[in-house]
Amino acid sequence: MKTHFLFPYWCRYLGWALVILHVPLTIIGRSYGMVNIMDGPKSTGLFTGVHLFFICTSLVMLTGLFLVAFAKEKMEDEQIWQIRLDSLRWAIFINYLMLIISLVFIEDVGHMLDLNLYIPLLFFIIRFRWVIFRLNRSLSREG
Amino acid sequence: MKNNIRVERAIKNITQADLAEQVNVSRQTINTIESNKYVPSTVLALKIARVFGKPLEEIFTLEEGD
Repeated sequence: MKTHFLFPYWCRYLGWALVILHVPLTIIGRSYGMVNIMDGPKSTGLFTGVHLFFICTSLVMLTGLFLVAFAKEKMEDEQIWQIRLDSLRWAIFINYLMLIISLVFIEDVGHMLDLNLYIPLLFFIIRFRWVIFRLNRSLSREG
Repeated sequence: MKNNIRVERAIKNITQADLAEQVNVSRQTINTIESNKYVPSTVLALKIARVFGKPLEEIFTLEEGD
């Protein structure tokens, strides 16, 4: 089957490594007083220490999630492709639903960026892996 | 859409994994097609029919409501 561009299979592991790396990075950063600029009460200015730290940690997390989401499966076929598209549809759907809800009910628009950054990728990954897990389970049940 | 891949496999005495390998898809895909959970693309349906050496309509048939 002719497929469109996706990252190679091993990128998935690199992606998870980056996602996991994001946790100690954030903890260490915060212990040095680098608070998340989203939590800060006022603007700290562009390219200050805090802002650069925010960019770095967000980039690590985002790149990780991106690689996990768009790495090839071991066996790429048309059904995987369909599941991928369907999961993307759901991810966009949920993302906009949450954006609309937060637009109406939350005053602080700073968190909208957080939502938009992570929700589509996170939800896509969860939904995609869940469907594949279910497929594998039904296969092993039938033997 | 219904199909009788399971029957054809039994006649030809090949496993899901064998068929999957011959048409270049995963075993999961063959399994979900057999249990009517997934409708294959025309290309894949033609490839499956070619493995069994039969015309497409003998393997895949439309159901009421399709």
